[in-house]
Amino acid sequence: MSTPRERLRGFIADTFFVDDFQDGDSFLRNRIIDSTGMMELVAFLESDFHVKVADAELVPENLDSIDNLVAFLAKKGVA
Amino acid sequence: MCGIAGFTIPQGLPAAARRERYGERGRAMVASLFHRGPDAQRVSLLDGAVLGHARLSIVDLAQGHQPMCDPETGVAVAFNGEIFNWLELKASLPGYRFRTTSDTEVLLAAFLARGIDCVKDFVGQFAFAVWDPRDATLWLARDRVGIRPLYLARTGEGVAFASEAKALFAGGWLAPRLDERGVVDAVHLWAPMTPRTQFDGVEALPPAHVACVKDGVVTQRRYWALDLSDGNVRRDLSMDEAKEAVRAVLDDAVTLRLRADVPVAAYLSGGLDSSLICALAQRRLGGTLQTFSVGFAQARYDERAFQQEVATALGTTHHVVEVQDADVGALLPEVVWHGEQVLVRSAPGPFLALSRLVRQHRTKVVLTGEGADEVFLGYDLYKETKVRQFWARQPRSPHRPRLFARLYPYLPLSQQSPEVLRDFFGIGLEHPEAFDFSHQVRWTNTGRVARFFSKDFAARVAAYDVTEAVRAQLPPEVQGWRPLARAQALEMATLLSGYLLSAQGDRMLMGNSVEGRFPFLDHRVIEAAARLPDRVKLDGLEEKAVLKRLARGLVPDDVLARPKFPYRAPIAEALVGPSAPEWCRALLTKPAVDATGVFDGGKVEKLVAKLAKATAAPSEADNMALVAVATTELLAHQFIHAPRAVPQAHLDAVSVEDGAVPAGGRG
Repeated sequence: MSTPRERLRGFIADTFFVDDFQDGDSFLRNRIIDSTGMMELVAFLESDFHVKVADAELVPENLDSIDNLVAFLAKKGVA
Repeated sequence: MCGIAGFTIPQGLPAAARRERYGERGRAMVASLFHRGPDAQRVSLLDGAVLGHARLSIVDLAQGHQPMCDPETGVAVAFNGEIFNWLELKASLPGYRFRTTSDTEVLLAAFLARGIDCVKDFVGQFAFAVWDPRDATLWLARDRVGIRPLYLARTGEGVAFASEAKALFAGGWLAPRLDERGVVDAVHLWAPMTPRTQFDGVEALPPAHVACVKDGVVTQRRYWALDLSDGNVRRDLSMDEAKEAVRAVLDDAVTLRLRADVPVAAYLSGGLDSSLICALAQRRLGGTLQTFSVGFAQARYDERAFQQEVATALGTTHHVVEVQDADVGALLPEVVWHGEQVLVRSAPGPFLALSRLVRQHRTKVVLTGEGADEVFLGYDLYKETKVRQFWARQPRSPHRPRLFARLYPYLPLSQQSPEVLRDFFGIGLEHPEAFDFSHQVRWTNTGRVARFFSKDFAARVAAYDVTEAVRAQLPPEVQGWRPLARAQALEMATLLSGYLLSAQGDRMLMGNSVEGRFPFLDHRVIEAAARLPDRVKLDGLEEKAVLKRLARGLVPDDVLARPKFPYRAPIAEALVGPSAPEWCRALLTKPAVDATGVFDGGKVEKLVAKLAKATAAPSEADNMALVAVATTELLAHQFIHAPRAVPQAHLDAVSVEDGAVPAGGRG
């Protein structure tokens, strides 16, 4: 079973067609994901990691890089 | 309006040798432009140059034959377009004995009187070639904003020119190959940056330029530049004074554009600009105006209710063509064939359907509202620039980026977090004086298409700097202008001439032999607007304020009150899934895409698979990438891999002659 980090990276590469980025790179600032893409990302978190994302959690500190996502999932009990 | 083509040849050749060497090349060039001028096609073999012309008869139907020459000097012209003030010019040229009532002869007379500087007197939309045997010089000229196209190729055999690149290929001057930098331009700027085109070796004569071809050497110079500097602005002007100034010049621009020996109709989008033009035209015509509109089967793109409301209020005879998703895909090969460029939007296609409708109603001239957004600050891009400029003064302010949520209420995340807005709209905020400050967000977003480039292609173009290519084409004084003025200059140099007037304008009109006329792009209107203070154009965040004032009472209030509705057409739903045309299934495959070499076939297949899912929610980036790939493949397919042949009937139709038609001579 691959790690959340690997699964997230695979999802980003397959969905947004970008693979040359660092785990700390901001998705928005680097135009890796736009606002429509954020919805796809949240849908992916909910379906593949079985977590619920509340509206108040839709902030860059949780979602805007691989590192932030991994930390966010860890808080939600996914490791 | 018409098509022109030609090339320089050695002087002193006997007529028979000229005909043998160059007759068929000229014939092929003009025949390839048949759609631009189905009424007559002629090639003139002159001593030193070959001029060709395909004619769409609009003024002096009986006598305006081309290429036309002055019988006394032998100066000959091939002319595409209109000089709307030709009657006034004619009155100012008493030294010339006019033999026809055509505007082409006025061009000849003006050239004889003033030389190539005659272009400065022209109010119009034109591209023309003049051969002057007195000093063996070929002159080329193009209108101020690039309404009419003109391309050239410098070859070992001479200099060739034409209204469309396909004529240069038909004449055998060069083989079609993609200009890789032009592709990079297109997926950032929406069009190749003049003089670059989508084809290697084919250059565009930039708008507002003349070229002199002598002894095989081409020299170009700019003959007009728009002054958007602060010093040119009448700061104290009130809104009422501004409105009256615009009314006078715009009304005259419309009136001049109704001059024709055939009926003039109008496009009606349902927005402010075209509605205002229709209203002014209908008053001049006394109630005989015909209007033409695009309707979309998909409600999210459709504006028929507003179009009908305006048509009813103005009492026009109204016609609509309804476009289905599948039509957009089916039209795209023709769009690319005529447009000759890589696109990031599917919106030109419906305009091809619209010009077909116009032609079916035996109409060949239409007015449109094109240009108002550039000239009177209509686009969101100008508001975005204004907000970014305001924000840049206090870059740490948590409140200022929130203005973007007001500007783009449809961005789902925009209301939620200033940090997100900062990341998305804050590019280059620390350098508001940067030459491209206004366009950084758009160019960066569009540039996401580049992630689909193949590895080899990306490596080949890695050193190419799009922004520098743009900067090199703008007059140096632009750098010193205020941000909104710089934004306007950039918008006119990239999107307007490169995309809206060409791929979505001239080419989609001429594809069905229809001439467009653009009152907002009369240079007197553009110059009058440049003298207005920004506050009457972009009032706070209200766009085109002065036009809205002017339109009150002329255009229904509903149209003035509605928010700006960007014209768009379906993309993913037209090119992927059940509505997708057959060509998509053939060209959007890994082997086909890899063979062209621009994009990565594996990524393209993944994109298509992603968008084919029933649950797909295509992002802006996905849609733009899909159109860019599809149009690149169509361009490569139709011009390089399986080039279309010029139809024999069109070749046969061209008359190849040993001289030009003397003004007033036989047709």
